Amino acid sequence: MTVEDALQQALNGLSFGALLFILAAGLSLIFGMMDVVNLAHGAFYMLGAYVALSVTRATGSFWAALVVAPLVLAAVGLVVEPLLLRRLRGRHLDQVLITIGLALVIADFIRLRDDWGWGATVRALPFPAGLDASIDLAGSAYPTYRLFVVAFGAALALLLYVLHRRTSVGALVRAGVDDAEMLSALGVDTDRLFTLTFATGAGLAGLAGVVAAPVFGLQPGMDVDALIYSLIVVVVGGLGSLSGAVAGSAVVGPADTFGKVLFPQFALALIFAIMALVLLFRPTGLLGRVRIGR
Amino acid sequence: MRIRVAIVLVAWIALATFPQWSSAWESSRYVAGIIRQVLIFAIFASSLNLLVGYAGLPSLGHAAFFGGGAYAAAIVAQRLGTDELLVSMGAAIAGAALLALLVGYFAVRAVGIFFLMLTLALAQMVFALAFQATDLTGGSNGFSGVHRPALFGLDLSAANDLYLLVSVASLLVGLLVWRVTTSTYGRALVGVRENERRMRALGYDTRTLKLSAFVLAGALAGIAGALSAYEFRFVSPNDVALGTSVTGFVMVLIGGAGSLLGPILGAAVVLLIERVLPSELPAQTVLGIVFIVFVVFARQGIVGALRRVARA
Repeated sequence: MTVEDALQQALNGLSFGALLFILAAGLSLIFGMMDVVNLAHGAFYMLGAYVALSVTRATGSFWAALVVAPLVLAAVGLVVEPLLLRRLRGRHLDQVLITIGLALVIADFIRLRDDWGWGATVRALPFPAGLDASIDLAGSAYPTYRLFVVAFGAALALLLYVLHRRTSVGALVRAGVDDAEMLSALGVDTDRLFTLTFATGAGLAGLAGVVAAPVFGLQPGMDVDALIYSLIVVVVGGLGSLSGAVAGSAVVGPADTFGKVLFPQFALALIFAIMALVLLFRPTGLLGRVRIGR
Repeated sequence: MRIRVAIVLVAWIALATFPQWSSAWESSRYVAGIIRQVLIFAIFASSLNLLVGYAGLPSLGHAAFFGGGAYAAAIVAQRLGTDELLVSMGAAIAGAALLALLVGYFAVRAVGIFFLMLTLALAQMVFALAFQATDLTGGSNGFSGVHRPALFGLDLSAANDLYLLVSVASLLVGLLVWRVTTSTYGRALVGVRENERRMRALGYDTRTLKLSAFVLAGALAGIAGALSAYEFRFVSPNDVALGTSVTGFVMVLIGGAGSLLGPILGAAVVLLIERVLPSELPAQTVLGIVFIVFVVFARQGIVGALRRVARA
């Protein structure tokens, strides 16, 4: 591997990591607040990508899709949380199980919507105008869209950090993550807070779907892949914290990218090995508060 | 007790001889095929039920051992050039148990939702291996041309012989699960489910207890996997995939976790939805909705609902 290759792969790893952050942030947020691992997170991601496909086709603009798809997914979250999860408040495992059923329904819905140009065949979303070129980077061509993904992920992390640390909503979220029951006793409407959290998480999954679609395309099974990767990221980084999602994606993104280049047969084994090691030696994840193993 | 045993035996004999007494009926062969598949998945779901229903370990990676067993049976039979049932079934059980030991070693360190996440992620690694080790497994094309087995040279490849094999296997697995769950060991597993700290305080090594249950359940899933390989003469990465794990989980929960009959009923209901329902209906959507309804309104599954009705 030459220096140019290494630099190129490092950038690929960085952009994959940025994407993983967008994906895992929503999962981690929902877990931190509600103690629910949303197993429909991958399905939300997939739905976000397909909505983006339709919006781009209708309006001709990727940027419209980047705004609309997360809003659609947030709306789905706004409906699903009060309808399904709220009845099972306190039964965390059952809430997780419900999201399995939800994932089945969403994936099947997408598979059956041939008439919307979705269906079971592989679809592609073109790169947005202006970001479809390559730029010269240390002597080799590099796609600008991937650089955009890095910048976008970093900006989102910054935005979420500011929201989390510097706003009153962020304070509510932090308090809810710490002790939702106490927050409720203080007179905060936690039902509403949970619904908003779930909607935000779903919206972030949808956002990840839009951003990923031009790079990875749209096909059946992308929901499962996304779910697995986001689970690995939060396990490695630590569940329920924003910094954990950053740390996890910063480790898993580059590790997976370099693994795929250096030993393609064992790329997945590498990130699972990282996960196993983290679990054995740091059961809370790198930066988490919740002990995953004991 | 005796009456129960008699009822189960009579029901099993009636089921095991179905191809014989129904042969005049034109759909007999088709229905026998469905029953075979229901029984194979009933074994799979029963093995998962040991974890989900008894030990309180919500595994979402059980397909790793189903598919692992299927691949082990198919590959060993092909490499050794033998159709002997004991060889391929032995390979399936050993392979699945070994895999379960590996996965379980990490997974039983976690509890509840984390256990579920870990089993899911680790099983996906097995899936990735099955998908990538093309020389061994055929990769995404799957492993086709699995031979139907023979027992001590006695050919079991005819549909009715396979039916008998599946019936006998499901009876044996059913008896084993019954024996395990009613033993002190089974009670200890339920103890871990109800209150692990207390079990530890009582001197039980709960991690080993959970790991042993995980390995046992994995080995039994391997039996189901081998039978599925014989049945379809084909093993694919699908057998190891999350979808199969979810199917097993849905079967256990719809039927009723923690009961012997539950997973069998669950397997029947799910396969009826997937294979028998008119094809215009979206099977996965129906399955997802049925599953959600059961989780919300009837967490104890069909068996629990029947018990409630019987008590009222």
